[in-house]
Amino acid sequence: MTTSDEFDNLTTPLETSTSPALKFDVLAKCSTTKARASKMHLPHYTAHTPMFMPVGTMGSIKGITTKQLEDLDCHVILGNTYHLGSRPGPELLEAAGGLHEFMSWNRGLLTDSGGFQMVSLLRLANITEEGVEFENPHDGKKMMLTPEMSIGLQNAIGADIMMQLDDVVSSLTTGDRVEEAMWRSVRWLDRSIKANKRPTEQNLFPIVQGGLDARLRTLSAHELIKRDSPGYAIGGLSGGEAKDSFWRMVSLSTDILPDNKPRYCMGVGYAEDLVVCSALGVDMYDCVFPTRTARFGNALVRTGSLALKQGRFKNDLGPIDPDCSCPTCKNYTRAYLHTTVTKDTTGCHLITIHNIAYQMRLMRDIRQAIVDDRFPEFIREFMSIRFGKTVPKWIISALQSVNVDLTTVDEKTGYSATPISDDFQKVPNM
Amino acid sequence: MTLHFELTGANAAAGVASSATASPRSGRLVLDRSLNCEASAPASTLAPAAIALETPTFLKYTRHGLQPHLVREVAAELSDMPACTRVQLEDFLEDDGSACGQHDAGLHNFVFLDRSEVLLLDTLDPTVTRRVGKSTNSFLAIDSEGGTKRLTPEVFAQLVDRLKPDIIIPPADYIEEPLPSLTQGKRISKSVTRSAKWLDESIAKSVYPSAVFAAVMGSHSPELRDISAKKLLARNDVAGYVFNDVSLALPFESKLQLAQHSLAQLDASKPRYMVGASAPDAALRAILGGIDLVDSSYPYAVTEQGFASTYVFGGEGAAGGIADASAAGAAAGAGRLDLWQESMFNDFGPLVEGCSCFTCRSHHRAYIHHLLMTKEMLSTVLLQIHNMHWYKGFFADIRSSLARATLAEDAQRFLERYGSSSEAFGELETLATQENSPTTKIQRKRHAEPL
Repeated sequence: MTTSDEFDNLTTPLETSTSPALKFDVLAKCSTTKARASKMHLPHYTAHTPMFMPVGTMGSIKGITTKQLEDLDCHVILGNTYHLGSRPGPELLEAAGGLHEFMSWNRGLLTDSGGFQMVSLLRLANITEEGVEFENPHDGKKMMLTPEMSIGLQNAIGADIMMQLDDVVSSLTTGDRVEEAMWRSVRWLDRSIKANKRPTEQNLFPIVQGGLDARLRTLSAHELIKRDSPGYAIGGLSGGEAKDSFWRMVSLSTDILPDNKPRYCMGVGYAEDLVVCSALGVDMYDCVFPTRTARFGNALVRTGSLALKQGRFKNDLGPIDPDCSCPTCKNYTRAYLHTTVTKDTTGCHLITIHNIAYQMRLMRDIRQAIVDDRFPEFIREFMSIRFGKTVPKWIISALQSVNVDLTTVDEKTGYSATPISDDFQKVPNM
Repeated sequence: MTLHFELTGANAAAGVASSATASPRSGRLVLDRSLNCEASAPASTLAPAAIALETPTFLKYTRHGLQPHLVREVAAELSDMPACTRVQLEDFLEDDGSACGQHDAGLHNFVFLDRSEVLLLDTLDPTVTRRVGKSTNSFLAIDSEGGTKRLTPEVFAQLVDRLKPDIIIPPADYIEEPLPSLTQGKRISKSVTRSAKWLDESIAKSVYPSAVFAAVMGSHSPELRDISAKKLLARNDVAGYVFNDVSLALPFESKLQLAQHSLAQLDASKPRYMVGASAPDAALRAILGGIDLVDSSYPYAVTEQGFASTYVFGGEGAAGGIADASAAGAAAGAGRLDLWQESMFNDFGPLVEGCSCFTCRSHHRAYIHHLLMTKEMLSTVLLQIHNMHWYKGFFADIRSSLARATLAEDAQRFLERYGSSSEAFGELETLATQENSPTTKIQRKRHAEPL
């Protein structure tokens, strides 16, 4: 499997930005939606966007070697600052020469701030102006993670992209707390920027907050732009909120954020979400979903996923996906995988490899469709396979906002869809 | 298809009959799958379809047909491995007696094993030493997560026809009972008769010409072992012998003696596979005693402890398979490096200095220690690569030593060097009672309480 070459004939950027540690070139724009396909030149690697970043939590991705990750065409992977900060800790990572050296990964790395993990994993996470106060799980002592400490940890890790520590509130929270968190995040951004000891080697991305409140999101985005950062993230979503609110906040953010810089929507990984958000102008994504679901024996396909543990796969002699060229699909049958998923680590590895390949192929297809300026056609194709006749309403609305109307009959294919109110539809309705 | 075994080196010159059955021998096992095998072809000429294995060597231990923790692309990082793989049927057996779905392109194809590999189909996983299932005259009882599965010779034969393995070990009535109760009653005698019956039926009811390796039964009774051996000697359809006394609660030395007692009654020109002799000291002793094949379950057990193998075999400054390991770096002691130790935390050296395996070239001890501490599955992947590479080198060294006719001295030195550590090479015993793999919640196969 080779590195993408969809940009072979495109050299003149339509939009561009140059930051101390990042150069972003938008090389193709969809003439219908807000999608764009770009190259992001990072200190360790030139990534192609829209891009999905698998999550390698503690410095590895679920049993897959870095060589395999390269073969799978991963450009950037994610590390979790909270976990790496505890183990092996910043001093060792510095002694090792940073996380790239420590894990022998030569391409792009992105670290989150540690804040989200803390708030979701730890007891008594108490947020003050100073930082996030929490109880150390090992000895119960009260500890604090400040923006400065987070950046310090991330500087030791040495990732190409670092995330600011933000005051994260659940997307289901309402009231004054949301605005308080939004403004605090701006102040923490400024402290983070000041604390960054390696601005020419590591990029710091701010995170747009504001919950599901359009006014607050708008304020947040405008504030962040003033800092002229190399790229921007959209945070505080993917937390169980109604998808109709989700897409509106994403789209609002991409309308405000500059065209010539990358936009990163955190925590997005379902295939349909990746397609829709790309149409809304997002360039980068991360999610534990593909690798996590692999551990339970679930293989990703264009129609959703296959739970290979199920008895119905016992005699299924086809590959997971006949169109997939990953090593798992080229060599193993569903029947074989059925015997080993959740039973042996190799079963887990085989599905993980496929799921990562699936995500990478999806993003390559999205990029290629944008480059060929046939992204709306791709979207319809994708949705017809994934959902069939009925598509969740939020997807229809989101796509209509960027001039793709799934409810009208497509002249060439005859495909059209009717909306359903559920946010999620597990299997296609044919 | 034929399986041919010939003694090579000094043994060949001495002739088979005169070589004591209980002494080490170099050999070559040749599998020829071509339909029209020229019987008159000279031994040194290999037909294009033939696979040759230099013995003593090991069969690669697998789980569901793959080496533990290693998908094929990763296993491909291991070079010069012996081209023989063992698969146990119990991994695939379903309650209804089916296995591998309705796949009919053979087991090689189902587990994606290259045709250049010799595939041996056994019934039971050699790392599981205690089971509770009770067999009857009609079936072998196999413990599994969903309860006890039953394997009859007829079902075995049908599966052989569909899976088309190169070598088979038909089900035998392995006894799972405490030693004291075995000395009374007729359990052992029953297992000898039953196993002979199952061997008959497995062969009679299958059409596919797999080579048969027959289990030598008799437990700890020399007389009953003689009966089992006589029955096997009388057959003309057995290509090799298997010693599988993993469940017998006796020290390895005693089991080896029992095997050698049987060997004296058997055809010395046939290859011998000893299950449960995978650990380096056991393998050496077994090879000295005339065994040709073991399996690589030992390196897997080492990996499951979070250890990296460091044992060195050979004369002072010996090259051979581990040409690259410095004698100084491979200290005596237990023959392994514990990656869980705190001292590994900031050790940026490779597992073993000078080791040329993928893991030692690409990563350092601190990283693997970190992966173990954070329960990341990559830890066992990387350790398994190293431990298999190391095991392969060990066997290459043994074969060199045998070729130089210095095996006895080299083995003695090795056993003395590691003999002083009570922890040396005990990983398989630890594995037998271990609940979980270090990095996942994947439950180890069920096991009964130690007897």
